[in-house]
Amino acid sequence: MGPLSDASAARGPLLLTVSMPVCTSCNRLIQPGARAVKFNCPNCGEMTIWRCPKCRKFGRQYKCLKCGFVGP
Amino acid sequence: MSEREVEVAVEEELLLPRETLLSAGVHIGTRIKTKDMELFTYRVRPDGLFVLDVKKTDERIRTAAKFLSRFEPSKIVVVASRLYGQQPVRKFCELTGAIPIEGRFAPGLFSNPLHPERIEPDVVIVTDPRADKQAVEEAAAVGIPVIALCSTDNEFSGVDLVIPTNNKGRRSLAAVYWLLAQQVLKERGELALDQSLSVPLEEFEAKLESKE
Repeated sequence: MGPLSDASAARGPLLLTVSMPVCTSCNRLIQPGARAVKFNCPNCGEMTIWRCPKCRKFGRQYKCLKCGFVGP
Repeated sequence: MSEREVEVAVEEELLLPRETLLSAGVHIGTRIKTKDMELFTYRVRPDGLFVLDVKKTDERIRTAAKFLSRFEPSKIVVVASRLYGQQPVRKFCELTGAIPIEGRFAPGLFSNPLHPERIEPDVVIVTDPRADKQAVEEAAAVGIPVIALCSTDNEFSGVDLVIPTNNKGRRSLAAVYWLLAQQVLKERGELALDQSLSVPLEEFEAKLESKE
């Protein structure tokens, strides 16, 4: 996200691209401020795993796409 | 290679000899089995006790050690409200430099910014997710990954990495924390790969009070 200049601010609302994290278990977007957790794959440590609050609460499985580790 | 030879080869890969693990009771579960723990359950004994798969326990200890070695030691918190878990946790923290929380977990320790003894860890290890529920809930509230020692009667709610083991036995908890400490030190490079932990397993065991 780049800085807004005075000229572009005067033109009105801008279309900004914001990438939101996706839950590794359910593939749903994780809303900002949600009680989600992120950590590197416990096995390979290369892929970042995101878990949304629901998947975490229900203990749903996640899978590392790099090494195939299945957790929790 | 015959079937027996394959079995022996597999046994050799375990962190401790199978006999030692079985005599410590690492594989003993409870009479209750949750759906979550089905994956780690090996069989049911005639007396109704569910038995855990020692191979999977071994694998998970290795994985957890790899995971823990990526964190700064002072950012790891180990929680044990169970009496038999307190001595192993103390010894584990002594060797690895983690922070022990024994006994009652004061509410707000992770989540209340006004708490006088507030801790901000990067990862939490709990001895029993049911007994240490407060710690698991607070870790979930602030977004900290949780590693839990789970028996057959535990659920995975709020847990990010499970180590299937008997989390009620005195010797079992000592064996698991001893193995975990050894593996963490090996992963960090503080202990040679062929070396064993200098502290004996007995020192990790909670002492029994003799009544006379």
